[in-house]
Parts: sequence; C-alpha cells; structure tokens
Amino acid sequence: MDFFSKIFELFSTGKYMESIFEGLKNTFIISVFAALLGLLLGTVVAMVTIARPSAAMKLPKAICKIYLTVIRGTPMALQLFIMAYVVFAIRGFPQIITAIIAFGINSGAYVAENVRAGIMSVDIGQTEAGRALGLPSRVTMLKIVIPQAIKNVIPAIGNELIALIKETSIVSMIGMYDLTFAAKVIGGGNNMASYLIPMTVVALFYLAIVYALTLGIKIIEKRLRAGDKN
Amino acid sequence: MIKIENLKKSFGTLEVLRGINIEIAEGEKIAVIGPSGCGKSTFLRCINCMEDPTGGSIVFEGVDIADPKVDINIHREKIGMVFQQFNLFNNKTVIENIMLAPVYVGMKALRKKKKENRKIKLSNLFKRAEDKRPLLEITETKESIKASARARAEELLLRIGLLDKADEYPSRLSGGQKQRIAIVRALAMNPRVILFDEPTSALDPEMVGEVLDLMKTLADEGMTMVIVTHEMAFAREVASRVIFIADGQILEEGTPAEVFDSPKHPRLQDFLSKVL
Repeated sequence: MDFFSKIFELFSTGKYMESIFEGLKNTFIISVFAALLGLLLGTVVAMVTIARPSAAMKLPKAICKIYLTVIRGTPMALQLFIMAYVVFAIRGFPQIITAIIAFGINSGAYVAENVRAGIMSVDIGQTEAGRALGLPSRVTMLKIVIPQAIKNVIPAIGNELIALIKETSIVSMIGMYDLTFAAKVIGGGNNMASYLIPMTVVALFYLAIVYALTLGIKIIEKRLRAGDKN
Repeated sequence: MIKIENLKKSFGTLEVLRGINIEIAEGEKIAVIGPSGCGKSTFLRCINCMEDPTGGSIVFEGVDIADPKVDINIHREKIGMVFQQFNLFNNKTVIENIMLAPVYVGMKALRKKKKENRKIKLSNLFKRAEDKRPLLEITETKESIKASARARAEELLLRIGLLDKADEYPSRLSGGQKQRIAIVRALAMNPRVILFDEPTSALDPEMVGEVLDLMKTLADEGMTMVIVTHEMAFAREVASRVIFIADGQILEEGTPAEVFDSPKHPRLQDFLSKVL
C-alpha cells in the first residue's frame, strides 16, 4: 500500500509543500481582501437600500437595485471571466487584484442583503425612541440600531464568508494559482501520479480554515449575547 | 406654547386626521380619549413630527415645526415622548439609556463652540490687535459633560427608586420599571412638554399604578403633558382638559367634569357608555 508513502512523499518534498503554500497564500489573500471589500460594499449598499426614498436617493437606489439583481442573478464564474477578460483585460494587470475585486463585488451583494435583513429585524420602536429624543437619524443608526443589528447578522455574515472562501477555488479558471490549482498541479505531475493524495490534503486545508472560522464566529456570537444579558 | 392649526394626516388615500385645531398652554395636562383607530396616536405622533403631517401647522415656541425645512431634531429635544412599548435601548444599560441624548446634545454644543473659536482665530489673523475678537470661553470637556449627565441620570433614578438598576440592561426589568425609566429618560432632556402614547396599555395590571403615580407627580410639578390614554379615571383626576377625538377630528373638549359628566356629542356619549 503506497497510500501512506505517497502522503509522506507529499509532505516531505519541499517542492510540493512550496506549491501548496503558494496556493494557500493566494487563496488567503483573495479571501481576506474580497471579504473586506464585500463587507464594506455590502454595508454601504444596505444603507442606501433602507434609506428613506427621496429625490436625491433615487439614482443611488436604482444603481443598488441593478447591482443586487445582476450579481445575484449571474454565475460567479461568469463574473470572474468578465472581470479578467473584459474589464481588466490589460496586459500586466495583477490577476490577484482582478480576483479580489470580482469576489468582493460578488460577496458585497449577499452581504448587503444580510445587513439589510439585520437592520430591518431591529424593532422600529428603537429608532423612534432615538429620533423622539432629538437624535439625528445617523446617530440613532450608529449608536442604537447598528449595534443591535450586528448581533443579528453575525451568523449570516459568517455563512457568507465561508461560502466566499470555498468559492475562491474557481480562480484557477482564469489560470490563477490557488490552493485547488496546487492540488491539480501536484497530482498531475509525473512523480506523484495521483490526484487522490493532493486533493485530499488540500480538502483538509479548506476544512481546517472553515472550521477555524466557524469557531471564531461562534465565540464572537457568544460574546455579543453575553453583552446584553449580563 | 403649542398651537396646532388645521392639522391633517393621510396615509395614502386613508385620511386619518381631518383638520385638528388646538392650543396647548404651558402647564396644561391634556388627556386625549377616543375609540381605537380614531387617530389619537397619529395626532400625538404628529406633534413631534414622528409622523410628518400632510397639512396644517404646528407652532412650537414660535416655529412651525410641520415645515419640512425646519431642523426638527432641535425641537424634539424639547418635546419628550413616552411610548406604549417603552422602547428603551436594548443595547444600553439603564443609565446609558438616560445619558445618551443629554451627552449627545452637550457634545454638539461643545463642537459648535470649538468651531466658532476656530473661525474667530482665523479672522483675528487679519485684524489689528485692537479689533481682535475674544475667544468664547469653553469650560466644558467631554468628561464634564458625561459626568453632569450621569449625575442628573442618577438623581432621576434615585427619585423613582431604581438607582440600584442603573447598570442593568432593559431585558432584566419589569414593564413598570421600563416605563418609569422611559419617562425619566424623557425628563433628562428637560423638555417643555411630554407626549405620552398610551403609556400603560402594554403593562400588566399590577404595574399600571406605579407608572400613573409617577405621571401624576410630574403633573403636580407643573409639567405640560399630552396623554393619549384609556385610563378614564386617571384622565378625570389629572387632566386639566380632555379632548375626544373620533373620525380624525376633535368632536368635543372641555374639563374632565364637562366631558365625563355631561357629554354632548352622541359619539362621545356612545363611547363613554362603552368604557365607563
């Protein structure tokens, strides 16, 4: 049975480990920055969507609506292709930035819906009490509504981050070297000559990342819940 | 102090208020009664523009606050409001609930003064020594504003006997406690008038008394109050004037004795026969 010897070979060969860590690094960079971009974009879009309708908000609201509809209605892979081969089809443009922007924009649409739902879930009476005391709507939002909304949206945002990390595996479709691609390259090499081992190892890497993230979110949730009871 | 003329409010095609006229003087306690869905609450919520009126004017301290161009927040600081569902801020402790708005207002004034001083400094650069304007004196700091808001909040909590709950979150309090805290939260802003929107309707019966007692104390101290209520006995005892609203209009108004003992309008007679 050379299964274990193959695993040993994978972990002991510097070249293979370098490939995996190179892929891991890219997966990590894309996930983190896309998540940050997504959270920022999603929050802004959510604010625009829930803002009171007025003449000045008409255009931003329309833009946000189109953004949400298009991004959530088309496949991620297609969005990535459009970013890579149409929008940023510039020679020498760093692929990793293309990927971060594509995933960030995609994630933003889902985050926006989660944040919107979270804010709507806070009782309207909270806003009314703030406004009745003479606090402007911005202050009421920041000090009263958003802190309560965050608690409600953390689980949904966590799911979105997990989905995002796994979804970044499609960057290999535009020829980017990520964790998944590393497995494919290693498995396709003459020396390893097996997809099973590298694919399994890489799967464990993904599992570990997602599991760590899940634990982190659980801890945050617990902390936040402790805050309003203590 | 408040003069309301021809106040109208519609939600879409539904006309809830069809021209309400009333003048509220300093120190008056006005009880608003009427059948459900008649527009009592809408009327009250229009007074501080929680609902934007669709017509008419509300003149508060000489300013028509129904005008959308008016900065309503400044006026809301002087118009307290107490809700049926208490609406304490769930993410804040009791004392933070009371301090939040006073600290905000204090900090706003401080920022304004600092900005003014920067302006004076800038303009002084271009003036001869004898023309230079003196800077505004700033005695407050962020800490002093917070400290005085805290002192005031503690004083208010002590008054209602809930000082020991200062650091609790609202989820730990009974309905009666929440409502009394909501009332002192409004008081902390030193409002000129407080609007009560059915303040005891969401309470368990045994807690109604403590809230009404507090309201009665305020009334005795001369606070101007507008109270939408179903507590007829309380209205009779405390109100200086009772107004009966039905179909979006004031159908009858007068002293409690006039309204309760010799109602003239058939709608009021009918209403009183059902609730008394």
